[in-house]
Amino acid sequence: MSDAAALLSLRAITKRYPGVVALDGVDLEVQGGSVHALLGENGAGKSTLLKVLAGATAPDAGTIGFGGVDVRFERPRDALQLGITVIYQEFALVPELSAAANILLGMEPGRRGVIDRALERARATDALAQLGAGFDASTPLKLLTVAEKQLVELARALVRDAKLIALDEPTAALSHRETARLFERVRALKERGLGIVFVTHRLEEVRQIADRVTVLRDGRRIWTGGIRDVSDAEIIRHMVGRDVEMERVEGRAAPGDVVLEVRGLTREPSFRDVSLSVRAGEIVALAGLVGAGRTEVARCLAGADRWEAGTVTVSGRPLRPRSPREAIARGVVYLPEERKTQGLVLGMRVRENATLAVLKRLSRLGVVRHGLERERAQRQVDELELRPPDIEREVQTLSGGNQQKVVMAKWLLADAAVLIVDEPTRGVDVGAKSEIHRRLRALADGGKALLVVSSELPEVLALADRILVMSEGVLRGELDARTASAERILALALPGGGSRAA
Amino acid sequence: MTTRQLGARYGVSLVLLGLVLLAAMFIPGFFTRANLTTILLHVSINAVIALGMTYVIVTAGIDLSVGSIVGLAGVLAAATLTNAALVRALGPGLAAVAAVLVGLAVGAALGFLNGALIAWLRVAPFIVTLATMTVGRGLARLFTGGLPIGFPDAGDPDYRGKVAALDALNHLGGGRLPLPGLPTGFPVPALVMLLLVAAGGFVLTRTRYGRYVFAVGGNEEASRLSGVPVQMVKLGVYVISGACSGLAAVLLVGQLRSGGPDAGMLYELNAIAAAVIGGTSLFGGIGSAWGTLVGALLIGVLNNGLDLLGVQSFWQEIAKGVIILLAVVFDVWVKKAGQTVKRTGGK
Repeated sequence: MSDAAALLSLRAITKRYPGVVALDGVDLEVQGGSVHALLGENGAGKSTLLKVLAGATAPDAGTIGFGGVDVRFERPRDALQLGITVIYQEFALVPELSAAANILLGMEPGRRGVIDRALERARATDALAQLGAGFDASTPLKLLTVAEKQLVELARALVRDAKLIALDEPTAALSHRETARLFERVRALKERGLGIVFVTHRLEEVRQIADRVTVLRDGRRIWTGGIRDVSDAEIIRHMVGRDVEMERVEGRAAPGDVVLEVRGLTREPSFRDVSLSVRAGEIVALAGLVGAGRTEVARCLAGADRWEAGTVTVSGRPLRPRSPREAIARGVVYLPEERKTQGLVLGMRVRENATLAVLKRLSRLGVVRHGLERERAQRQVDELELRPPDIEREVQTLSGGNQQKVVMAKWLLADAAVLIVDEPTRGVDVGAKSEIHRRLRALADGGKALLVVSSELPEVLALADRILVMSEGVLRGELDARTASAERILALALPGGGSRAA
Repeated sequence: MTTRQLGARYGVSLVLLGLVLLAAMFIPGFFTRANLTTILLHVSINAVIALGMTYVIVTAGIDLSVGSIVGLAGVLAAATLTNAALVRALGPGLAAVAAVLVGLAVGAALGFLNGALIAWLRVAPFIVTLATMTVGRGLARLFTGGLPIGFPDAGDPDYRGKVAALDALNHLGGGRLPLPGLPTGFPVPALVMLLLVAAGGFVLTRTRYGRYVFAVGGNEEASRLSGVPVQMVKLGVYVISGACSGLAAVLLVGQLRSGGPDAGMLYELNAIAAAVIGGTSLFGGIGSAWGTLVGALLIGVLNNGLDLLGVQSFWQEIAKGVIILLAVVFDVWVKKAGQTVKRTGGK
């Protein structure tokens, strides 16, 4: 299938992080003068692979061949010097400097530490001209658009004589026109013999730009081949796999009345015209890829952000919270996706975290009733089987799953009617995952309405009664969880990846 | 509990204890009731300011304006105290009460300004309070023309009334309460300090507001998402800090029988030092009223001991600087301890 003279060949790359194998014996070969697309769900290992490629992280096992020679990267500089440039979604640029200074950052021409500004500008201008850029090299970077900043990154690769450029979801923040122009430039670079690694979620783009495709899943390489030899449906099947099923937790009773009703909710540019309803006793999942706008919807409902248009009612009464405080007062609580930065005060005790949202109920004349607080916190923590069940421990000493239980304890104590749960099991080990699923189901059985945002398809399938799929800020469709499949969810979730039927 | 955690909890108190023991053994005249009382008196104004500062720093903020508040609140309180019409109308006792209220109100008002700008306009605390520090000092000098307010002219028709009012406030700022076994009596400002630290500690550890102060300093976003009224909490700490400075100003006016526009210069640094030495973390989320009192006492004992030894004041400054550095290094060390525990706890 491949030439012996591959430009890049990664062989059996393995990278472990505490608790996860991010990459498990991954092979990847990229030819000069070709575009190789890297596909996979969130967490499949694409980002880690790029980091290995960039020399930003060292693999635990495996070899890297470049230009026919085995190489080792101690630091990103080593990879750069060989001619490998990785362009991340978050650009590594200095906003206050000019485009030219950014392009030559780290390799400024000059003598004895004095920069030759004319030469710097000339070289930057030359690189930008090769890319057909329409702005001056002396422009301050912060005035440039995302697409233009991307050109600065590409120009940076050119002045370093890059032979291989890896782009991490380069089109995520681009308009259709900008994407088309980027593709022209990528093709031009390919014509010059450069190898391109292209990470994206969008199958239509893969069809337009890629020669070959590698699909990763759960840190393993699942499939590699020519783009012409494979259908979209096959690619999706490779991405989803079958071996990731989770035990499904069924609800006990038929759902009751509608508790949360959302109509035409819009907050540009994150999401628009989102309508959904959640009944008492029901778990509704909001599925989709990272960046689809799900968390943004959740944060608006929780009062953390404002929406621009649309209406929300809770138990029939309109809700328009200006702060989480107001949402909580109306019985809508939010378990945020980032446990450590948004869910917990890590330096405080379990007890203090658990009662933070309900302290008013546990105090008299502003003085916290210590005994009552202890009792409530202990009871909740025991019910959730926190390990260790010590309410005076600082939460930063607990494992991820137990920290998540503390977040849950906080919101259980709040006794809200609506729980909005964002990525409930991120960073939690497998055993704790199904336990958290059972807890969430128990809450629904107790009459709560749950809206769960999750990027993990097995979780969505195991947990939800109904699945709403979002893509690019829009609800693409609704599926019954009992009949849904990962393929059908992903087909709706991938931008331009499948049917757009609602 | 690890050694580090023990150190974190009691370290500064142990250092203070050790220092007192050393001084008691080697410095003649240190360990007498009169001298220890003097130390309490000398640290009281700084401790009162530092208590308010502790609230601010626990929210990960800073208040540079406290020294200027002492100046401005002081001159306005002194002006109230020596206002002829007011003294005539109220009598010296009530005039002193009015002066106290003016001092507190001026401090709280400037603190309110600080807090409002920080909480609602989201300007960095350092910048806001740097600005109010400058403005406050300028206002104090403008109001007084650069001269202290107090000392009435002997030819003043209200001379007696004004002196009586100054005397009345002097009971608060310079007064002594009889205490058995203590011939000099117990200084009133030290009593005010102790009561305030007790109250401040109670609020921080036992009330809902205190819990919110720690939560906001520990993780502002998580607190907001938990329904904590973050902006009101922030506003509150600056009002408390301002009011504490206003009270310190009144104590100082009472002690000195006058209010000078330059009073309180660099007090912000002493207050920050006391809080930090006492274990308050500049990163927010950690601190205590008791710790701050200990921090203030540590500085006081050090100054007093070196004074008695006849050491140049320049050396005292150097010693204070070294102690502040040690306290911050200690803070970082304790932070690391938290991370070690996290790793072992997380399997």
